[in-house]
Amino acid sequence: MLEADAEVDRREFTVRAALSVAPGERLALFGPSGAGKTTILETIAGLVPPRRARIVLAGRLLTSTAKPAVALPPWQRRVGLLRQDPGLFPHLSVRDNLLYGRAGTRSEARSGGMAETVSPVDAGAVGAAEVADLTGILAIDGLLPAMPARLSGGQAHRVALGRLLLSHCDALLLDEPYAGLDASLRRTLTDLVVSLVARRGVPAILVAHELAEAQAFADRLAVLDRGQILQTGSPGEVVLRPAGRRVAELVGYTAFVPVQGPPPEPTPKPPQDSSMDPGQEFAPGASASGSVGLVAGIHPDRVIRGSHPDKGLVLAGVVTSCRPAGALWEIAVRTCGVTVTGRLPEATLTGRELVMTATDPPCFGADGASVTTHGPVSRSGQAGVRG
Amino acid sequence: MGASWIAVTPPAPGRGEPGGAAVPRGLRYANRSLAVAGTGIIWVALLGPVIALVTHLSWSSIASSLGAPGAFDPLILSVESGAVTLGVLVLLATPLAWALARGTLPFPRVWEAGVLATLLLPPLVIGLLLVFMVGPFTPIGHLLSGLHASATNTFLALVIAQVYESAPYYILGAQAAFSGVDPRLEQQAAMLGDPPARVFRRVTVPLAAPGLAMALAIAWARAMGAFGAVVIIAYHPTALPLQIWTTLQETGLPSALPFALVLLVVALPLPLAAYIWSARARSRRRG
Repeated sequence: MLEADAEVDRREFTVRAALSVAPGERLALFGPSGAGKTTILETIAGLVPPRRARIVLAGRLLTSTAKPAVALPPWQRRVGLLRQDPGLFPHLSVRDNLLYGRAGTRSEARSGGMAETVSPVDAGAVGAAEVADLTGILAIDGLLPAMPARLSGGQAHRVALGRLLLSHCDALLLDEPYAGLDASLRRTLTDLVVSLVARRGVPAILVAHELAEAQAFADRLAVLDRGQILQTGSPGEVVLRPAGRRVAELVGYTAFVPVQGPPPEPTPKPPQDSSMDPGQEFAPGASASGSVGLVAGIHPDRVIRGSHPDKGLVLAGVVTSCRPAGALWEIAVRTCGVTVTGRLPEATLTGRELVMTATDPPCFGADGASVTTHGPVSRSGQAGVRG
Repeated sequence: MGASWIAVTPPAPGRGEPGGAAVPRGLRYANRSLAVAGTGIIWVALLGPVIALVTHLSWSSIASSLGAPGAFDPLILSVESGAVTLGVLVLLATPLAWALARGTLPFPRVWEAGVLATLLLPPLVIGLLLVFMVGPFTPIGHLLSGLHASATNTFLALVIAQVYESAPYYILGAQAAFSGVDPRLEQQAAMLGDPPARVFRRVTVPLAAPGLAMALAIAWARAMGAFGAVVIIAYHPTALPLQIWTTLQETGLPSALPFALVLLVVALPLPLAAYIWSARARSRRRG
């Protein structure tokens, strides 16, 4: 169990985070660059001093700013941190790199942190079965005598991951480790980490600024912006039910269309609240408050062609641009002062009229907080609405 | 305007191409030979003194010079004091070099300027100033005489002079070597469970080792050849460079030359070994 509650001062803002990750659980911290994601990981690893913090890992108090103050140095925390640079020791072979943390922890466990270090060879002889097992899973067993300079990027990351796991760290922190690798390799390595975290039963935190990567990894996703956790939820929930307009922007909603609908019910919870219970979410019981300033978030990937009023918000407008985006076409439609983008499988001509339906769009009030609606919403003003 | 296909014939490969960017083979060859020859001339000019030494030595002069009783005493003395000097440098200058490289000191430029100042002082001036610093009538001199020691014309004086002449070379070299070690690797080692002392031993030193070896080799060569400061505060006991000087003054150039050869032979192997070792360490890292 990893519990971290920390405030860390940065130049522009203060990072505030309260996290709790169970053994074997995978949490992804998702947010734009500079949101303070890495700062949180480095605080847990003991590399950044917090202003106020209480960090507990596997029953051990790592950091506490309350009296009596505790600040374990990085080498006593047993926290594994993997960065984009795999950080292999260039003077050691792959084998000695893998066993590096092992030799350290073993001698520390035996002689209380002092005196003789068990040489990597001895440690290897003792834990040979474990090493063989892990190198097999990581598919690096043929590389053991090689020097790190000879490895490809993917191989180096596998070795770095193996080194962390062999050092028996109690938590795995991944700071966008695979950002520099190509998509398929990234996917393979992410799957590998997921399976190994499950096997080891250690809490794991991944930092990512790409949503798909965070979703591929995590059981739970926390959205971070300017040092604040805006929402925590399942990887699907955060995208489908963003707690606020800022979260919606971060997870890819590109357009916000003014709507008027049946009387909305403001979400009674603050945006930080993690429990977005769907049962409550769609509970009926409307107050008669006005719908002034209500907007619906449109996600380009959650748009279908044609008019389907039963599925969501129907939008009609003139196509202003159409360009390829991966295997789809990114089509921008101008509708009543707002440009709405949708990714559709078929191209269309600029200047033509197009009808799209934004499926089940989340709605936000004037204050940016999520608003629960029941029943279909419609575009405010009748112009451009079909069906 | 109707579009029409225009056939593009690729230019024929080979020579005789008008206006082609390719340099003719003959010219390229001449160019390369010229570069090698030019570099060779500079290299030979640089080695001129060594060549002169080897060509002007005769077996009889070597035999007569080195055959004299006690001829090798200065050599032994130089090797001994040189070894002590290296020990002092490794113990005292390595931490300073590390601190300079890591930039952990306040006002790092001031510290670096201090090291550079000792590098800029001519050895003769260092010797003069050392007299004022550790001579018999100074506080340090009084302290030493209380311990029945002296820093003038003793083994200690020789070591002090050698340390002052070689320290800046070692510190600057070691600083560069430590600067080349990625601090993220040290951080990684710490997170894998190593306290700072063990990180230093297992990561920092091995990674800086090739550079440290070269710095040490240069310091050794400086210490073995130390003359300017030595001639002022450690005229006795006679170290190797001083032996060359006194032999030259007393019996002339031919009998001094063999000792120059001895100095070269003694001072050179360590730098050479360090060079070969660090080159091998680097290629091993490349895998």
